[in-house]
Amino acid sequence: MGDKPLWEQIGSSFIQHYYQLFDNDRTQLGAIYIDASCLTWEGQQFQGKAAIVEKLSSLPFQKIQHSITAQDHQPTPDSCIISMVVGQLKADEDPIMGFHQMFLLKNINDAWVCTNDMFRLALHNFG
Amino acid sequence: MSDGDYDYLIKFLALGDSGVGKTSVLCQYTDGKFNSKFITTVGIDFREKRVVYRATGPDGAVGRGQRIHLQLWDTAGQERFRSLTTAFFRDAMGFLLLFDLTNEQSFLNVRNWISQLQTHAYCDNPDIVLCGNKSDLEDQRAVEEEEARALAEKYGIPYFETSAADGTNISPAIEALLDLIMRRMERSVDKSWIPEGVVRANGHSSADQLSEDRKAGCSC
Repeated sequence: MGDKPLWEQIGSSFIQHYYQLFDNDRTQLGAIYIDASCLTWEGQQFQGKAAIVEKLSSLPFQKIQHSITAQDHQPTPDSCIISMVVGQLKADEDPIMGFHQMFLLKNINDAWVCTNDMFRLALHNFG
Repeated sequence: MSDGDYDYLIKFLALGDSGVGKTSVLCQYTDGKFNSKFITTVGIDFREKRVVYRATGPDGAVGRGQRIHLQLWDTAGQERFRSLTTAFFRDAMGFLLLFDLTNEQSFLNVRNWISQLQTHAYCDNPDIVLCGNKSDLEDQRAVEEEEARALAEKYGIPYFETSAADGTNISPAIEALLDLIMRRMERSVDKSWIPEGVVRANGHSSADQLSEDRKAGCSC
């Protein structure tokens, strides 16, 4: 672990923390966003901690489990970290579906917060 | 099961809020067999069943049986994350719209589902059968039968109170939908015999013409 670049360590700790919160109590996710944060959830835009938490808390399933298949992290020129996740999720008793999620993390007052979050199910149009 | 030994392949889509029992209803109809085929990449789960359809003529005579290969499409639950993609609606010929008799919100959302269907289905008046599911949970009922029937009548669609738990009215509901589809196909086949100019001379708008064309396209 020690010889991994710092952004990898921060990125992967964030990812672990994020999905742990999401799967256990997603109403707590407010802690990682700020009022300038943006969420694009399946193409729908939300801005600000309150709107984001409201959206995530009101998703209509009782339980959800995420399983991370792969994650990549990069440092940006303005000292942020960009992270991409590919994984699978299972909501209640529904079939397992793939998803993609991307985060931009920024260090503000010695804490890492998520300023941008984009989520999509890995489903493709047909017909 | 997918061999070509049938007269028609008909695709139905089960719709409605999360938790109303779409999967259970389809599972009950296909004899509870776990033969669903889940296509991960598109988020479609479907079950299949062969039935024989006998049209009843105006004189009450029963016609020759037609072998129907029914494909019953189910979502993978992606409606929990967002609205369904329009492609999802477009490919189905008939819609089984479900709500939960013990959940009033699922009944209130029936209007939204119908307006989505009118926008995204292959035509603006697709065949729909409304099902109030979980009729076995009578003591938890939150939607009265009269209310539901009144809504169905307003949209001119059949209404059934079903129970995936004990099987009540599942087959009649799906058969009613099949009947609507088969009648529509007969109508659109008849119309295809009418030369284009004749239809226009009768004062149909170009929009009507277009929707008729789309219907005819669907029946093959």
